[in-house]
Amino acid sequence: MSDEWLDRWRDYFLAWYDEGSVEDKASEVAEFASRFLDDGLVSVSGGKDSMVMLHIIVTRCRPDIVVFHWDHGPWLMPRAVEEEIRRNIATVAPKARLIVETYSYGFKPQARVDWRPWYKAFFSTLRGLGYRYHLLGIRAEESSRRRARGRIVQRKHWAEVHPIYDFTWRDVWAYIFKHNVPIPSVYFTYVRLLGWGRVRLTTFFDMEMQRYGQPQVDSVLSWRWRHNPLV
Amino acid sequence: MEPLEIVFYLQAPVALGFPWIFFDSLLAHVRLKEELGERYYSLPTKIPLGGVPDIPIKRWRDVPVASVSIFEPSTGLHTFSYFKRGDFPFLRGKISRASGFFKDFYLKAVYVPAVRVRFYATGELREVERLVKLVPALGKERNIGFGFVRKVEVKEIEREWGLVKDGVAMRPIPVKYLKAYEDATYMAYKPPYWSKHSVDLCAVPFTRVELA
Repeated sequence: MSDEWLDRWRDYFLAWYDEGSVEDKASEVAEFASRFLDDGLVSVSGGKDSMVMLHIIVTRCRPDIVVFHWDHGPWLMPRAVEEEIRRNIATVAPKARLIVETYSYGFKPQARVDWRPWYKAFFSTLRGLGYRYHLLGIRAEESSRRRARGRIVQRKHWAEVHPIYDFTWRDVWAYIFKHNVPIPSVYFTYVRLLGWGRVRLTTFFDMEMQRYGQPQVDSVLSWRWRHNPLV
Repeated sequence: MEPLEIVFYLQAPVALGFPWIFFDSLLAHVRLKEELGERYYSLPTKIPLGGVPDIPIKRWRDVPVASVSIFEPSTGLHTFSYFKRGDFPFLRGKISRASGFFKDFYLKAVYVPAVRVRFYATGELREVERLVKLVPALGKERNIGFGFVRKVEVKEIEREWGLVKDGVAMRPIPVKYLKAYEDATYMAYKPPYWSKHSVDLCAVPFTRVELA
């Protein structure tokens, strides 16, 4: 498909920015998020939602925040994508303190089929960081389970805060196009096949995602990373 | 062995698990079903079978002289999404929707709405013809109707195009067997294609190459 296709969608989302009052929604998000930043950690996966959240917080609240990024390792997140994510975070939040933790099991191919160690590693890392609030780019629209969570969830050791909880997929893309928020270029490969509302950045070839049919899509679109994720 | 052109005429789009279908793996699949009979459907999942069945295809070094699929006309990729949820109207009792027969699942099939699928290979005409006639459907998700074959034609051609055609690789070829190549990545280049022992740095199909 040509760039004309992308240009038409860009026009659509820029029109939606005004029609959908995305500017007002972003202001509300900034006001809500600012309450949690003093003892809060902004978790950024590098996907579209977390990048929009990061951009809103950095440009409308304050730039000197603490950003946490989890590196899944090469077998789950190809290095080309991971490097792009880190560049994007540095571009959007140059004054932020970036904490990157790497999933050591992700350096083994077994990480694609055995996802159980991930949960232990991830949550013990979060606990070790010791912050009171974790700001995540979760949206209510994504699933019924997420809709049931609410905007603030009190966990055992921290509170999970979802600033862009009420954003729709159209709001997210409108914000991205309006403010030129950098996102991984792999999105534009997947979006043509899956659609703007369904595209997500997930771990690649991850059998945990098999119930959503994701590894099958990865095998067709990201086949270069199937055997060598270091490229 | 003769250079062959094999054309499958399709009744339904082909669902894919990889951008291409390998012709030699298709024949190996049919041969394996022939060899094992009903036992094919109860293969051990933890212990892979040793070896690959003999297929009537020529080998150049250890690379089968058989191209990957060429989809015609080229219409690009599309997705078919289906969410199977177990909303069964049972009067009483509970069923598990997390596992077993009533398990929920989300199917996302990537498909190509092609009319024909063309392959080139060098092999034994009669045996190849016999084997391809045993193929009812191509690609993935065949059980729900994807890739149904209407008819198949095998004919002898003058040139051998299973490896290279007009200077372009027709299948993954290890770069160690090439004098020059345009693009390369790690891919499986010989059956069994699921095995890590079949993976090497290969020239990408449909990019320019020069055999050593």
